[in-house]
Amino acid sequence: MRKSLTALASALLISSVAVAQKVEFEEYTLDNGLHVVLHQDKSAPVVVTSVMYHVGAKDENPERTGFAHFFEHLLFEGTENIARGEWFKLVTSNGGHNNANTSDDRTYYYEVFPSNNLELAIWMESDRLLQPVINQIGVDTQNEVVKEEKRLRVDNSPYGNWITEVKKNLFKKHPYRWAPIGSMDHLDAATLEEFRAFNKKFYVPNNAVLVIAGDIEFNQTKELVEKYFGVIKRGADVPKVNIQEDAITQPIIATAEDPNIQIPMYITAYRTPSMKTRDARVLDMISSYLSGGKSSPMYKKIVDEKKMALQLFAFNYAQEDYGMYLIAGLPMGDTTREALQSEIDAEITKLQTELISERDYQKLQNDFENRYVNGNSNLESLAENLASNYLLYGDINLINEEINIYRSITREEIRDVAKKYLNSNSRLLLDYVPAKDESAK
Amino acid sequence: MKKILLFASALLLTISVEAQIKRPQPQPGPMPTVHVKKPQEFTMKNGLKVMVVEDHKLPRVSYMLTIDTPPYVEGDKAGVSSLTSAVVGNGTTKTSKEKFNDEIDFLGANVSFWNTGASASGLSKYSSRLLELMAEGSLNPLFAQDEFDKAKQQAIEGLKADEKSVASVAGRVTDALLYGKDHPNGEFVTEQSLNNVTLGDVKQNYATFFVPENAYLVVVGDVNFKDVKKQVEKLFKGWKKASAPVATYPEAKDVAKTQVDFVDMPNAVQSEIALVNTVNLKLTDKDYFAGLIANQILGGGGEGRLFLNLREAHGWTYGAYSSLGSGKYTSKFKSSASVRNVVTDSAVVEFVKEIQKIRTEPVTQAELDLAKAKYIGNFVMETQKPGTIASFALRTKTQSLPADFYENYIKSIEAVTVEDVQRVANKYFKADNQRIVIVGKGADVAGTLDRLGYPVNYYDPFANSVEKPVFKKAAPAGVTSKTVIENFINAIGGEKKLKEVKSLSVASKGSMQGMELTMTQKQTNKGQSMMSLNGMGMEIMKQVVTPSMGYAVQQGQKQDLTGDDLKEAQESSKLFDELDDLKNADSFELTGIETFNGEEVYVLKKDKSTVYYSVATGFKVAATEVVEAQGQTFEMTSTYGDYKEVKGIKIAHATSLPLGPGMSLELKVSEVKINEGVSDADFK
Repeated sequence: MRKSLTALASALLISSVAVAQKVEFEEYTLDNGLHVVLHQDKSAPVVVTSVMYHVGAKDENPERTGFAHFFEHLLFEGTENIARGEWFKLVTSNGGHNNANTSDDRTYYYEVFPSNNLELAIWMESDRLLQPVINQIGVDTQNEVVKEEKRLRVDNSPYGNWITEVKKNLFKKHPYRWAPIGSMDHLDAATLEEFRAFNKKFYVPNNAVLVIAGDIEFNQTKELVEKYFGVIKRGADVPKVNIQEDAITQPIIATAEDPNIQIPMYITAYRTPSMKTRDARVLDMISSYLSGGKSSPMYKKIVDEKKMALQLFAFNYAQEDYGMYLIAGLPMGDTTREALQSEIDAEITKLQTELISERDYQKLQNDFENRYVNGNSNLESLAENLASNYLLYGDINLINEEINIYRSITREEIRDVAKKYLNSNSRLLLDYVPAKDESAK
Repeated sequence: MKKILLFASALLLTISVEAQIKRPQPQPGPMPTVHVKKPQEFTMKNGLKVMVVEDHKLPRVSYMLTIDTPPYVEGDKAGVSSLTSAVVGNGTTKTSKEKFNDEIDFLGANVSFWNTGASASGLSKYSSRLLELMAEGSLNPLFAQDEFDKAKQQAIEGLKADEKSVASVAGRVTDALLYGKDHPNGEFVTEQSLNNVTLGDVKQNYATFFVPENAYLVVVGDVNFKDVKKQVEKLFKGWKKASAPVATYPEAKDVAKTQVDFVDMPNAVQSEIALVNTVNLKLTDKDYFAGLIANQILGGGGEGRLFLNLREAHGWTYGAYSSLGSGKYTSKFKSSASVRNVVTDSAVVEFVKEIQKIRTEPVTQAELDLAKAKYIGNFVMETQKPGTIASFALRTKTQSLPADFYENYIKSIEAVTVEDVQRVANKYFKADNQRIVIVGKGADVAGTLDRLGYPVNYYDPFANSVEKPVFKKAAPAGVTSKTVIENFINAIGGEKKLKEVKSLSVASKGSMQGMELTMTQKQTNKGQSMMSLNGMGMEIMKQVVTPSMGYAVQQGQKQDLTGDDLKEAQESSKLFDELDDLKNADSFELTGIETFNGEEVYVLKKDKSTVYYSVATGFKVAATEVVEAQGQTFEMTSTYGDYKEVKGIKIAHATSLPLGPGMSLELKVSEVKINEGVSDADFK
């Protein structure tokens, strides 16, 4: 039995050498600094038009948090050529759909249309950059919408605040210490002039990448891009955050309360290096190994066998300047923090001292390869990957080469990286607990 | 002079950059065509047709085996094909289930099997292993008795869980009436028919229908035609040539004149309305595309007329839609919605009006354009999805489509005219030959149906014709709300005994989606009440009400009850509320006698609540509350049964608790304590 499995594994290894994927693209930069990436795929008459701006929550003034996310809303209010409230109608009545999202590092807008509406999409996105209408009506409207969103997703949502609490404790200097949703007081206090200034500073072509992917002709697309985006003026250079955190040398012990929960969440969090580093990739594999799926060692032992936790998960929160490696568990019954922690630590220690098995390693490789391949299988995610590979990772070729990094990670490296970062002296232990009941007092 | 001009133009230039730039909205280009990759094909001697689409963009592969089986009637063994689907794929005669699944997991692949096909997908570097696994599972399935028993048990449980579901009864009855119970589309699975199926029948079903004559294997991905051909020939060579029998069954016929078919479900809080007629519309018919657009305009989505009318204009339903079937076999045209009981007849009138209107009046150009844009948009987005190439290739074969069908799809949609829409609406939306199937609460609805002007027929939930039931009759002389309440109090022990009760504690057990649940209810005669629902070692729901306060905790979220909510909760927190009701018996209206779950009941109404008392035993059988949430009205029904005596008082030992529309929790009482086990601390 063992023998046949080994034979199978080696047969699989041999066949894995040859194949590689090849996503082809063209890239160039307009005179105004806008970087353009074009990917042609004529298999379906669809085109994705997206712009990623290199502005996120970390670029905000600490007295005006929430601005980046607020802009994601504000920039749907309309432009000089698109009347207020018309944006979404324009998209659906032309057979498309659209959306946007904001992180600590960037803000992303996109439209998906049948390919005969390529020009419409370019017109819309370029007008948003060239001449958005930023006025008091729009600010007031979106202020209400954002507050509603915060109530829904954060304030009223069980466990809605835990990542924010982790960030607050893990970062002392770096702007990762606040969350993209930001402060409602800051947003209320902001003047129209401040919003306009934010737009002028960050929403400039030299701070963005335009990705057009799908059923396109290169020449025609380039002409349209030049026609609509070419007229936009270059902005001033955009300063980048450059703030270093001090190393964590003592465990940080913290507690946070959530009025919406009944079961505490015990969080173990480590500050890790930028997602651009190789070590961050190794940590990705570690999280997948430890708690990815029901057959992972941590899940199997703590949830399935010992029934100490209702739920347990680990993941590597990869970001541009720093990452976070997070392990969180919901204790079952009266399992204590200490008991849960010692099980978690035992698994980490094992990972730091022993090599994972060959079969687990190969399964991990298969898992990452599947994930990677499927991650590029639809045009929307492919476009976003192209944008973030260029803008955040600084290497657009990762679209084809990223998998090679994972393939080259060895079992020894997994052990060593676990040893290097998952250190009990440099971590945060956060008890995210139910708020004390006021009425019980 | 020249200098000034230059200066002026420079100024103009800067102004034009700073000022708003007017740019007209671009017009769409010509409609794109879909470039469907053409498969390379070969046919094996046993009849299996293989289509391979090489697509090297990503290193992955998908296999889909489809056996194009003509419809057949399963008769008194209805359910045999779904049981076959459940059993195949659980291990093979060569490999145990565990080992088989473990390998799929290891490869990170997806592999599944059913009674007329199989599929596998994953990384192309494992393409040959994946095909081996799929072939092994397809051709050497293990028919284990325990897997069969498990599948059957699950199917029976599924039926039971659906027994009171108005929507599933509606689906079953609609098809049974439209096609006939002896038609493949009209027959349905029952507990009896499932019990008739043996493992031998499943094996037989597999042997008869899992055959290569009309089988298609579509391979898409980063593979090479020559390799695939070689491997398929090797793996599927042993699949013995055979073709599935072509079954005969009576053709479905529409009714000669539109009629209403009503099924009474006393627990229905909404009426399910479906207007149906049969349709024979092949994808190759010249009406096909016009049919798609006509349906899109009538009821294809949130912009459809049915939606705009029944939901947006009237607010009667969450959604109203229509669908037009197509294909090489008979299918149906259906317009449907779930509406509040009281608007059932009005909703039918609007359905009929909309169907008539699209038949008699031309649609507007704007409607046509929007429907086309939406339809083309959706189609185009669809073509982008993985799997579409395979399904296009397959449908081209099974539906005998011209090779350029999908290339010309958008063009064909574009060509549809206002006149086409009206013509096909007349042909396929058969306003004069429809069955209007309504499943709802007869006591509320049935009286209004005669007004519609169509003949009304009555059926039971299994589509058997029945006499018009008596939904409601007057209570006999002498019976009043007061005597009904008195009767109940006497039936459970009498006023004197009930007044001696200071506290009541009831523990019960139930299960939901496999999770064991326990519920504790405690009440006192001081107006205190506590209810707590627990499962998986945690509290899922809790409510505490006292004369001074009240709160509810649900999934960790605590909410204080205030205002009217608190008042209502306090009013319903009384121990044996009938004792109080008796004093105000006049505030209840005795509306008559109805049937509840097959039992005659007196119906007492007050504001938003209705209580049902058994005519025969006097016991309270059920109580409903009308609840409004998110603009929708629901009735929440609790039921009470299996009354057993505890310390001289009869307590319902089988209850059901409403959890939401169409969802309830069945509970069996495990322990009742009277005047013990309850203290003030329980109501903090």
